[in-house]
Amino acid sequence: MSDTKIIKSTCKSCHGTCGVLVTVENGQITRVEGNPDSLTRGTMCSKGQAAFQEVNNPNRLKYPLKRMGARGEGKWARISWDEALDMIGTKINEAKQQYGANSVVIGQGTGRGYDPFTIRLAGSIGTGNLMGPAHVCYLPRLLVFALMIGGRLFCDLHGWGGEYPKTIISWAKQMEVTNVDGEMGVWLLDTLEKTKNLVMVDPRSTRLSNRATQWLRVRPGTDAALALGMMNVIINEDLYDREFVTQWTYGFEKLRERVQEYPVKKVSEITWIPEEDIIKAARTFATEKPGCILIGEPLEAANNCIQTLRAILCLAAITGNIERPGSMMVWMPPAAGNLEAFGREVRLPEENRKNIIGGDKYKLCVLGRICHPETVFKQLKEGTSQVQAMHLQGTNPLLCYANTREVFDGLMNLPFLSVADLYMSPTAEYADIVLPVAHWLEMDAIWDDMAVFYIAAINKAVEPPGEAKPDSWIFNEIGRRVGPEHWFETMDDLWNHVLRKSGITFKEFQEKGYLACTGKDQVYYKYKTDYWKPGGGFRTKTGKIELYSTQLEGLGYDPLPYYLEPNESPYSTPELAKEYPLILSAGGRFPYFFHSQYRQLPWLRKLHPYPIVQIHPETAGNLGISEGDWVWIETPRGRIKQKAELLPTLDPRVTICQPHWWYPERPGPDHGLWEANANVLTASDLPFDPAIGASTFRALICKIYKAEEGE
Amino acid sequence: MQRAIFRDKDKCIGCYACVVACQMEHAFPPHPSFPPVAEPEGVSLTSVYRYGPFMEGNKVTQYFIPMSCMHCSDAPCIQACPKSALYKDPLTGTTMVDKEKCIGCRFCLWVCPYGAPRYNLEGKCELCDLCTKRYKEGKKKTACEAVCIASAIFSGTTEEVASHKSKKAAKKLVEGSATI
Ligand code: SF4
Ligand code: SF4
Ligand code: SF4
Repeated sequence: MSDTKIIKSTCKSCHGTCGVLVTVENGQITRVEGNPDSLTRGTMCSKGQAAFQEVNNPNRLKYPLKRMGARGEGKWARISWDEALDMIGTKINEAKQQYGANSVVIGQGTGRGYDPFTIRLAGSIGTGNLMGPAHVCYLPRLLVFALMIGGRLFCDLHGWGGEYPKTIISWAKQMEVTNVDGEMGVWLLDTLEKTKNLVMVDPRSTRLSNRATQWLRVRPGTDAALALGMMNVIINEDLYDREFVTQWTYGFEKLRERVQEYPVKKVSEITWIPEEDIIKAARTFATEKPGCILIGEPLEAANNCIQTLRAILCLAAITGNIERPGSMMVWMPPAAGNLEAFGREVRLPEENRKNIIGGDKYKLCVLGRICHPETVFKQLKEGTSQVQAMHLQGTNPLLCYANTREVFDGLMNLPFLSVADLYMSPTAEYADIVLPVAHWLEMDAIWDDMAVFYIAAINKAVEPPGEAKPDSWIFNEIGRRVGPEHWFETMDDLWNHVLRKSGITFKEFQEKGYLACTGKDQVYYKYKTDYWKPGGGFRTKTGKIELYSTQLEGLGYDPLPYYLEPNESPYSTPELAKEYPLILSAGGRFPYFFHSQYRQLPWLRKLHPYPIVQIHPETAGNLGISEGDWVWIETPRGRIKQKAELLPTLDPRVTICQPHWWYPERPGPDHGLWEANANVLTASDLPFDPAIGASTFRALICKIYKAEEGE
Repeated sequence: MQRAIFRDKDKCIGCYACVVACQMEHAFPPHPSFPPVAEPEGVSLTSVYRYGPFMEGNKVTQYFIPMSCMHCSDAPCIQACPKSALYKDPLTGTTMVDKEKCIGCRFCLWVCPYGAPRYNLEGKCELCDLCTKRYKEGKKKTACEAVCIASAIFSGTTEEVASHKSKKAAKKLVEGSATI
């Protein structure tokens, strides 16, 4: 008989936290499937299952490598882990001694449970320059929640308080297939069985269109106007929750004045949504309660993201949809706490925190403890940068930051770059040292779900290929070389330290699978208890939900939400729009890949072999484009080639292309990135969000034309 | 007993997780090669088709329709197979393929009203087998059913599937169908 084991683990192929069972026969994984006895009840997506194809993938990195030729020349020498880590440690220590700790940048991608490690590593070096895509993804939300409420809000899709949402607004979100940020697709779909109204806000139809009761086809980049217009209706029709607003919010009268600037007629002109639809959605949300709003990342990758999110959260607050069962909730963590403390417990020198790159301009970056990536690359390119050494883990800036050309020029001027990844990514191709990382099926770790209410065990199913090592081990080893007092002798010591509040050891935790705070343990209406403030209230300066943000005011930003026209649009740049007549969202998500990942996995790539740009059939017809044609998408920054899909549910003036495309199968160093990657089109010289520096990915302008054969 | 499967076009979101699950369940070779588009045909026994989206005013019509073998009682493929390679599993009534006998003539594909038969690298017929091996091991849900976040797949005896469907119809009668 064969030797068969079933390992209980947690999928880390996106931000989600799906429980999985891994079958290992004679040392080989033969199956990855959902764990019926987990919070995701045995369901999984295509990405998580195809993780199976990452193990044994011939393209995986197996050994630490050192660059031998010129940057990007593709000449490498295999070196030992000690040599690689010592070199990284030495470069970081030298930079710190000569130029100060802030001359070191620690970078991560969207994070797969190792976020606390990058934060801790930066902290132990003393650098404030932690770099990631957080300023365009998730952090804006968290900061707005923190500013207004003092906790993180999520939709109550669980019914632990005895009620499910009656109305759900899915705002710029396709949670059913991608980018779950604390709420899981399966929870949403289960909840929809009990939900009366599903209002979708999206420029195109999605996979839930059939089930939506209302669809607001918003013009990309105008969501703040929509939220303000809906509040205009709710306040002027007296549909707001008077009792909640009076007792628990601050600045309502000022908000009332502000929304008068957004009458429905004007909002309809801005957003391209018919007036009656805006009114209907507003009335539904205000009267069919409880309700909640799923918040999508496109709202954050925009030039006014903080105020857009503020407007949306004000909408939830004035309708009293905070902390009641079935509304928006701040979840309580399990007894173990969550991983975050592991990152934050290492204090950063105040000086270095204040002086992060870009922090002088984008003050919320300082609050969120991240530097501003576009400024990092711009300064590097211009030769004015203080940065001497950069360590990147699980991130691919050449694909994922705005304006690829500038990122490239910046990277080429960087004195030292080390990259840790699963594959030789385009960014890794330009590194000085490349480190091979173990896949989640090949590591022991703890996974922190973003919704805060549980932590889950990732248990190793098989050994990694070659000498690949888990992220946590790599961070610990670099840490021991640059700030040993904050790091650990053994990995067991490290994990036990993480779990110290739980009263169980890492071994026990691995067997248990997860620790969660669910059901009756979750307390609703926490603001009526002493949870946040003795005597009740929210964790803000005023103790109330700050519709009028005293903190933003203190930082010199508008304390009330407002709408700002996108940097480039037929209205803000009418002359330019003559040449680039279509509105472009350069971030259309799809189910099979996550950001720049997974183009190497045959099961997934077969489902989606090429990048796709969606165009309205009428527009395509006028341009002589048919379904399946290769077309050029061009902005003032450059052009890329994707395949046309004709989508009749778009506004004919809007087009949506797919982000982060590269072709791993094509030769390095670029792997086709200049041809396919949507960030060739995005800008780093247009105004960013004034508070957090977010760049605009979803509301640009472009022209599209057919690519000639052989082009 | 006759086992059956129901795939719900009103719930399916077209995520293709079931397509991957089916390949995993049947241990089709992982093909870690490039270009992946050159993979052999017939790697999944189920497929999902998109219908639409069409737009009329502000109303969107769009369906994802997961398809596989329907396990017909009076199965044309079984009648047509010149080598008697297709047969009914005596316990579950599932249409099965005897790969020893199959000569890969693809006549079953000609006669199948649903285009269900697939062919593996050796050219032999592969059919959805309702995860019979798994079922006999005591797992009630098929691989595609277990993985589906939309609860769009339901397998069981014909009676169980029928009552699952009529429950759904009853709910619709009361609520009216909710579409844009
Ligand atoms: S897994 Fe479910 S929702 Fe996804 S395609 Fe298959 S049937 Fe449809
Ligand atoms: S292969 Fe086609 S004809 Fe044969 S049982 Fe299945 S659905 Fe019926
Ligand atoms: S029931 Fe089993 S064999 Fe049939 S499509 Fe589903 S996973 Fe494949």
